[in-house]
Amino acid sequence: MSEYETDDEKVEAIKKWWKENGMSVVAGVALGLGVVFGWRTWTDYRNGVSGQASAAFEQLLDSATADAAQSTAQQAQLLSQGYASTAYPALGELVAAKVLYETGDAAAAIAALQQVVDKAPDPALQRLAALRLARIQLAEGQLDAAAATLAAYDKSSAFAGDFAAVRGDLAAARGDTAAARAAYEKAIAAGTGLPQLIRLKLDNLPAAG
Amino acid sequence: MLQQIHDRAKGWFAWLIIIMISIPFALWGIQSYIGGGSEPVAGLVNGHEISERELDHRVQTERIQLREQMGAAYDPAQFDDKRLRQEALDAMIREALVVDAANRMGLRVADPVLRGQILAEPAFQQDGHFDNAAYEQALKYQGLSPSQFEAQLRQRLVGSQLVRAVAGSELVTKTEREQYQRLTGQRRELSWLRVPIAGFLGDAPIDDQAIAAYYEANPKRFQVPEQVKLDYLVLDVAGLAAKTSVSDEDIRRAYESDQARFGRPERRSVRHILITVPPEADAAANQAALAEIEGVRKRIEGGEAFDAVAKAVSKDPGSASQGGSLGEIEKGIWDPAFEQSAFSLPVGQISEPVRSKFGYHLIQVQSITPAAVKPLGEVREQLRGELAKQKAESLFYDQGERLANLVYESSDSLVPAAQELGMEIQHSDWISRAGGEGVLRQPKVTAAAFSDEVLNEHRNSDLIEPEKEVLQSVVLRVVDHREASTRPLDEVRPEIVTALRKEQAQRAAAAAASADADKLRGGADWAAVAGDAKVEEAGLVGRNDPKVPAAVLSVAFTLPVPATGSASVGTATLEDGDAAVVRVTKIEDGEVKPAAKPGTPDPAVYMLGQMLGRHSYDAVLNDMESRAKVERKAAPAR
Repeated sequence: MSEYETDDEKVEAIKKWWKENGMSVVAGVALGLGVVFGWRTWTDYRNGVSGQASAAFEQLLDSATADAAQSTAQQAQLLSQGYASTAYPALGELVAAKVLYETGDAAAAIAALQQVVDKAPDPALQRLAALRLARIQLAEGQLDAAAATLAAYDKSSAFAGDFAAVRGDLAAARGDTAAARAAYEKAIAAGTGLPQLIRLKLDNLPAAG
Repeated sequence: MLQQIHDRAKGWFAWLIIIMISIPFALWGIQSYIGGGSEPVAGLVNGHEISERELDHRVQTERIQLREQMGAAYDPAQFDDKRLRQEALDAMIREALVVDAANRMGLRVADPVLRGQILAEPAFQQDGHFDNAAYEQALKYQGLSPSQFEAQLRQRLVGSQLVRAVAGSELVTKTEREQYQRLTGQRRELSWLRVPIAGFLGDAPIDDQAIAAYYEANPKRFQVPEQVKLDYLVLDVAGLAAKTSVSDEDIRRAYESDQARFGRPERRSVRHILITVPPEADAAANQAALAEIEGVRKRIEGGEAFDAVAKAVSKDPGSASQGGSLGEIEKGIWDPAFEQSAFSLPVGQISEPVRSKFGYHLIQVQSITPAAVKPLGEVREQLRGELAKQKAESLFYDQGERLANLVYESSDSLVPAAQELGMEIQHSDWISRAGGEGVLRQPKVTAAAFSDEVLNEHRNSDLIEPEKEVLQSVVLRVVDHREASTRPLDEVRPEIVTALRKEQAQRAAAAAASADADKLRGGADWAAVAGDAKVEEAGLVGRNDPKVPAAVLSVAFTLPVPATGSASVGTATLEDGDAAVVRVTKIEDGEVKPAAKPGTPDPAVYMLGQMLGRHSYDAVLNDMESRAKVERKAAPAR
């Protein structure tokens, strides 16, 4: 049996319901639409910003030659200021570090890589930057700094071989043949970019004992 | 309660529910209910699906590419479907990882860049401009919709940004470069002594049990593969050409009908003076140029030397410095007015001003080499060869067709075909699938010889054309066949004895070498160890010195670095089985060259950077993969 006997009663009930709940229904629909459009606008905005950052990064890549190291570094700086919400500043600093190092400015290259390590948008990029940082620190004779960098970021199996190779170089620089041998062997086993060169380094270590 | 729901369902409440249910249908369409989820999935990367269909498409594209790259050498069986699928899936997972990482990190290609790329793609262009029809056609060919293609392209461009950022920013530090130079250029001072196995080869009887054991342990070595003896007919153009005769009459006819080929056109040695006027110049400019060239003509007629005047006034940059000379010229490549005049002037006369599209010329012909035709005698043998080849080729196709029919009609013998066409049946020795001599080495020939039809049904093969673009055909039949077998122990016994004796001698030589090495390490000198044998003093050698056997070098360069005044000693096994004692007494590192100037990359350092960079990119992706949620579904059985 229905609660409502006649159509009039039904209409009355609907009106009454609307009076009680109408505001919340309208508010709910408006809120929903607002969220949808807000999200749209936000993604459009984000895509726009990313697109601009991307174009700026392309420009940086084009100019990234040893002759234009300063300009490359400045462009990387501008990327960091304007587009900090994207990953492009980190990529820009990676490229700038290479160019700076090649012009002989190791300190600036170290600073650039340190920035990538500090604000890397992805752990993989952080490890990559840390690895390069440690290699430059080692080449600059900052053995303790290199050791600290290695210890802090050698956390991924994907980079284990590369970190081990640098650790081997570090141990060899400190004269610790046994540790160098172990590290090089680990590097070859775990896989690195230049296994043959590491094999040569290994074969060139002084006799054990 | 249920009663209540039932009651209300008849009223406004029911409508409300229906409306709410219909909203998703209205917004997302029905396909998301019917199509979604039913497609088999090959892999998952952080929730992003790689469908079986996409994977199939990728595998197919890869196969097509392989076939295009390898051409005739492509053998589908060589590329196992399962492996190809595995590799394609790995590649797609990598791509999905890059997309995922790019989304996460906010990497994006701006729309104008994407549009620029599409507009610049030659495949989408017609007459040098972007053409929408060509674009859609090209996509259709790849089975993509424009939005799919644009998404793919965007993905590729973002991927390339990541590659350039990660791999392109790789660096080689100063110490790394120097160490590389020191190590690769390293030289070691070494001497070595050969310990030949010949000195240890005995003739003591070998134990039967050892022989049997060797025979059991090396069955492959004594196996004889399945073999056949063949009868075959070879039809080839070279053979036919040798048999064809070409009459002198034919040669003469060919010579006469093709005079143009043997002729040499008239050549004239010409010089000129040019006063330039562009073709579109107005009357005044034309007049001025004409007046100028008339003046020049007067000067020459007045007795000045042509070449001196040409040098002074001619505006033709190529010839002015040569005194106007163009050298010997032929008709057909010059301005028509110029040519007309140059090839009608008598020798020595200066032409009237001639108007070409460059301006006004004065032309003088210095000498004429008349047109000539090579005499028949000079080209007779060339023509004879050509005609014989033509005849042989048409004979080849003609006889090839007859041969194919004949061997098909009497498929149990080659004799009728050989008699009918005057060919000689050739007989092969035993050959295996590895092939025999000459034409029997061709894979198509051996494949036919071991085919079911020829081997088991004892029929003639089809007409085989062993090599592409070589006019040669082969028909064969199998006349004898023997299965793969293992040679009996008695037959191979001497071989085994020799092998075992050699093994023993090798062991003894190695032991002797190792004892010698110990003596050296203990402080003995070469003379005490080597006795009468000659010690090779190689001196300081590089890693790849051709004077020293590779096995010796490889041991020498892996021995520990000796302390000053002492030596490192090791043993090696040479390629011919002899043993060797190797002693390294000094190590000299390669020369460290100063850093290349910026902008002039050192090739070796550049290569190191490239290799490191590629590896870095791999490591970055591996690292991302290790943190991502990646699933590979087992490929369905097919």
